[in-house]
Amino acid sequence: MIDDFASAERRLVIRIVLLAGFAILLGRLFQLQYINAELYGKEAEENSIRNVPKVAIRGYVYDRNGKLLVDNRPSYTVMLTPVDFDKRQLPLLGSILSMPVATVQEKINRGRKYNAFIPTRIKRDISFAELSMLEEHKDKLYGVEIQMESKRHYPTDARGSHLFGYAKEISDAQLEKQKQDYQPGDIIGSTGIEAKYEQFLRGVKGFEFISQNAKGQIIGTFDNGKHDIPPVDGLDLHLSIDGDVQAMAESLLADKRGAVVAIDPRTGGIIALVSKPDYDLSLLSGTTPPDVWRALNNDEGIPLYNRATLTRYPPGSTFKMLLALTALEKRIIDENWSVTCVGAYRYGNKTFKCEHVHGRVAVVEAIHKSCNVFFYQLMLKVGLDEWSDMGKRFGFGKQTKVDITEENSGLMPDRNYYDRIHGKGKWTQGYLISLGIGQGEVGVTPLQMANYAAMLANKGKYHQPHAVSSIVNKRTKEVRTPNVEQREVKLSEHTWTLVREGMRRVVMEAGGTGRAAKVPGIQVAGKTGTAQNPHGKSHAWFMGFAPFDEPKIAICVMVENVGYGGAFAAPIAGFCMEEYLYGEIIRYSKSPMPLEPNEPDEESVAAN
Amino acid sequence: MNSFFKEYFDRTIFFTVLALAGIGLLSIYSATYDAYEGRDFFRQLLWVGVGFVAMISMMLLPLRWLQRNALRIFFASLGLLVLVLIMGKRVYGSQSWLGFSGLGIQPSEFVKITTMLALAAFLSRSDVKATNLKDLVKTSLLVALPIGLIMLQPDFGTSLTYIAMFIPVLYWAGASKFLIIIIIAPAFVAAASIFGTTPFLIVLLLLGIGLFMLRAENQFLATVVFGVNVAIGFVVQILYEKLPLYQQKRVATFLDPNNDPLGAGYNVIQAKVAIGSGGLWGKGFMRGTQTQLSFIPKQWTDFIFCVPGEEFGFLGGIVVLGLFAILLFHGVRLASIAKNRFGSLLAIGFTALFTFHVFVNIGMSVGLMPVIGIPLPFLSYGGSSLVSYMMIAGLMMNVYANRKEY
Repeated sequence: MIDDFASAERRLVIRIVLLAGFAILLGRLFQLQYINAELYGKEAEENSIRNVPKVAIRGYVYDRNGKLLVDNRPSYTVMLTPVDFDKRQLPLLGSILSMPVATVQEKINRGRKYNAFIPTRIKRDISFAELSMLEEHKDKLYGVEIQMESKRHYPTDARGSHLFGYAKEISDAQLEKQKQDYQPGDIIGSTGIEAKYEQFLRGVKGFEFISQNAKGQIIGTFDNGKHDIPPVDGLDLHLSIDGDVQAMAESLLADKRGAVVAIDPRTGGIIALVSKPDYDLSLLSGTTPPDVWRALNNDEGIPLYNRATLTRYPPGSTFKMLLALTALEKRIIDENWSVTCVGAYRYGNKTFKCEHVHGRVAVVEAIHKSCNVFFYQLMLKVGLDEWSDMGKRFGFGKQTKVDITEENSGLMPDRNYYDRIHGKGKWTQGYLISLGIGQGEVGVTPLQMANYAAMLANKGKYHQPHAVSSIVNKRTKEVRTPNVEQREVKLSEHTWTLVREGMRRVVMEAGGTGRAAKVPGIQVAGKTGTAQNPHGKSHAWFMGFAPFDEPKIAICVMVENVGYGGAFAAPIAGFCMEEYLYGEIIRYSKSPMPLEPNEPDEESVAAN
Repeated sequence: MNSFFKEYFDRTIFFTVLALAGIGLLSIYSATYDAYEGRDFFRQLLWVGVGFVAMISMMLLPLRWLQRNALRIFFASLGLLVLVLIMGKRVYGSQSWLGFSGLGIQPSEFVKITTMLALAAFLSRSDVKATNLKDLVKTSLLVALPIGLIMLQPDFGTSLTYIAMFIPVLYWAGASKFLIIIIIAPAFVAAASIFGTTPFLIVLLLLGIGLFMLRAENQFLATVVFGVNVAIGFVVQILYEKLPLYQQKRVATFLDPNNDPLGAGYNVIQAKVAIGSGGLWGKGFMRGTQTQLSFIPKQWTDFIFCVPGEEFGFLGGIVVLGLFAILLFHGVRLASIAKNRFGSLLAIGFTALFTFHVFVNIGMSVGLMPVIGIPLPFLSYGGSSLVSYMMIAGLMMNVYANRKEY
C-alpha cells in the first residue's frame, strides 16, 4: 500500500475544513452583529433577564438517637439596593438599625462594587422593634427591603460550640478562594463540622429570574416566575454524638477549663466532644457584632480554642499501660517481674519520687496502685525505641484526621527527636525515666487519649474517630456513609488481659486511684493521670472504658490546673458513662451509692 | 543575526500568541474589574508570564530527545492522573467525596501535550503504519488510557478534546478515509436522529455519497457501514424516547440551547445578546452593558469571547478570528513543510486541538454549538490551561526551528 502520510490531498481537505469553520463563524458573527444587531441591541437595552441566586436551606444535624441538635429558624434581614437608595437617609437607617453610619456606608459600597443593581445585605437577624421602625419609615427608605432568611438554631441543651462549629457570613478571603460558588453575604461553615461538611450542608442555590433594563433597574419578575429554579435543601448530618451525654459533659465542666471526649469503641463514632470554656454558638451564627468577637478573642480562657483536639499536654500516669503493653509483648518482663518501691528511685545523682511506699509490686499491681518506681525501672529496661514505636501504633504523635476541625498532632518522642533536640549521642538513658510515667516531652490531645482508651477497650482494634455517621438526603432518602479507616494493633491475649485487669482494679478495687469513676452496677476500667505543669497546678486526666467485658464507651477527661486526676477528672467520666449506659443518672435514686471521698492521687514526679 | 532569527524563530506563532493573550487580559480586566478590583487580571498577567517562560523553554528543548523519550514522559504523566484519582479518595470524611475541584492544577491539561508527544513518536516510527490494523489498535490504546482516566474524574469536555486531536492525527498519518468516516459518522448520525427526521435523512444522504465515492470498488463493505449507521440512528431515537422527559429535555438542550432559554440556554442567549448588541464597532472598552452588569455567568472563563464581541463588535470578532486563522493555517503549513514526521504530526495534532477549542468555544458563544465547558485558548481565565497552551505554542515553534531536519 502506498504511504499516504500528509499527502497533498490530505493537506487540502484539512485546509478546506478550517476554511469552512472560519467562514461559518464569521458568517454567524456578521448575522448577529450586522443583520440582527438592532434586534439584539434593543434587547440588551430594554429588557434583559437576570437571575438572582436564592440561598438553599442549610441541612439539619441529628444525634445518634435521632434527636435534632442543629436546625434553622427564620430571621429578618435588611437588604438594600445601592442604586435605588437615597444617600441622605443614611443617618436614619443607621439609627434605626443602631449601626454607625460608616459601617452602613461600608456595606453599601461593598455591595455596589459587586453589583449595584442587586440587593445587598445590611443587617441580619433584626429585632421586631427594628422591623417595625423600618416599616414606619418605608416611604423615605427607598431601595430598602426586608428578606426572610434562616439562621442556625440549637434546640437542645447541647451547646457543641467546638463540635458543631459556626456558620457565618463569608469573609473576603474565603470569597476570593471560592467565588464560583459564593457571593458576598452568603453563609459558609467556618469551624467544626459546619466547615468540614459545608459542601453537603449548604445545598444547591436556586435562581429567580427578574426582568431588568440596561440601566439595571428591576422591572419585575420574569414571566410570573414560571422559570424560577427553586433551591435544593442541604443534606442532613446524622452524628454518632449522644446529645444528652454531650450536654451532661458540658455541664460537668461548666466552671472549669478542660475537655471531654467519648468514643464508641465498636465504631469509632464520637459520643461527646467538649471543650471548656466555650461560647454560645448563636452569637456567632450569621453576623457577629464586632464587640462580641473582640470579647471572645480577648477572653483569657480562650473559649474559641478547642482543647479537645488542640491542647498538647503530657498524659501523666495514663501512659503507664502503653509501657506495660510494650514490655509484656516484647517479653522484656513477665507478669511476675517485680520491683521494690521504697517511695523513690535514684538514678545517678537524681531522685525520682513515688507517691507511696508500695513495697514489692508486679505489673498488674503497679498499674492498679500507679507505682512510679516500677515504671521508672521498666522504662530503662524497655528503652526509647520500642516504647516510642508502640506509642505511634496507638496513634500518638500524629493527627487522627477526625472530621471536626483542625487538630494538634501531639508529640511522641523518638530517637530522631532526641538527636535533633539534644544532639546525637548527647542524651542518656536518664532522660527517658520520666517518659515511663507519661511526663517530660511527650504530648497528647484529649482526642488521642480517647482513641487510646477505645483501643484498650477493643484489644487493639482501631476505628478512625469520626462525628458524622451518615449524610442523608431527606428528599431522595439517599444515605451516604463515610469510610472509616480500620486497623489493628495485634498483641497477645495474655498481654491484653494483664494490662486491662490492672485498669479494672484502678476503678473497681480498693487502693485504686480511679474509684471516683465508678458507675453503679457496671464494671469500669480506667486510669488516672496528673500532668505536671510548670505554670501552676497539675492538669488532671482520666481515661477509661465500660462495661469492662463488652465496652460500649471509651472516654477521656482532662481538666486544666486543678490537681489530681482521681479527684477531678474521674468523677466527670463516671457521670458521663452512667448517662450514656443507662440513659440517665441512677446513682442517687435507684441504687444509692455515695461517692467515695476523694483519695489523694499518687503520682507526681520531682526530678532532682 | 536577522537571518538567523528568520531561520529558527517562528515569529508568526510568537506574535499571534502574544496578541491573543493580550486580548484575553483586556477582556478579563473588563469582565471582572467591578467585583474584584482587577485581582483576576493581575493573576492572569502572572500566568502569562509563567506561560511565556514555559513557551520559550519548550521551544528550546531538543526535539530528538523529546521524540526518544516521548513514551516515557507520557506514562509518567499518566501517573499524575492516577495520583489525582487516588489522592482524592484517601482523605477522611467530606473530602473523600468532594472530587477534584479544589486542586490548583489540572493535570488533564498537561497530559494532552504528553499524549500528543506519545502519539507522534509512535506514528512516526518507521515500522508503524497508520494503515495497519494492529498499529491502529495500539495507537487507539495510547489515547484511550488518558481518556479513561479523565472520564473517571469525570470530565466529558476534556475527554472530547483528546478525540478531536486524535482523529486528524490519524488522518494525517495516512489512515484510510474510509476508516475516518467509520469513526466519526455514528456521532453525527446519532445527533441528527435526535434533531428530527429531516436532519437524519440529510446526514444519511451525505454519508451514502461519501461511502459510495470512497468504496466504489467494495460495495459490500460500504453497504454494511451504511446499514450500521442507519441502525444506530434508529436505536438512538428509540433510546432517547425511552428516557424520562426531564432527561430528554436535557439532551435536547445540550444539542440546542435555545430549547431552554432560562436553564442551560440562559448563558447562550445572554451571550448572543451581548455579542449581537455589540454591532459593527462595539460599545467601547469597559462599556459593554451586558459584560459590565455581569449578565453572563462564567464570562471570564468559558464565555470570554463575549467581551471582545460586545465591547469591540464585529471588528473585535474579526480580529480574534483572524488571529486564530493565522495561527491555525500556519500550523497546517508547518505540518506540511516539516521534514521529520514526528514534528509534522505534532504540528497537525496541536493545530487540531486548537481548532477544536476555537470552533467549539466561539461556536458556543454565538449559539451554534452545544455548551461544552472548554476554554478559548490564550483568552480564557485560568492558569493551567493558559500555561499548557503556551507550552504547545512553544513546541510548535520548536517544530518550526527543526523543520528542515529529517
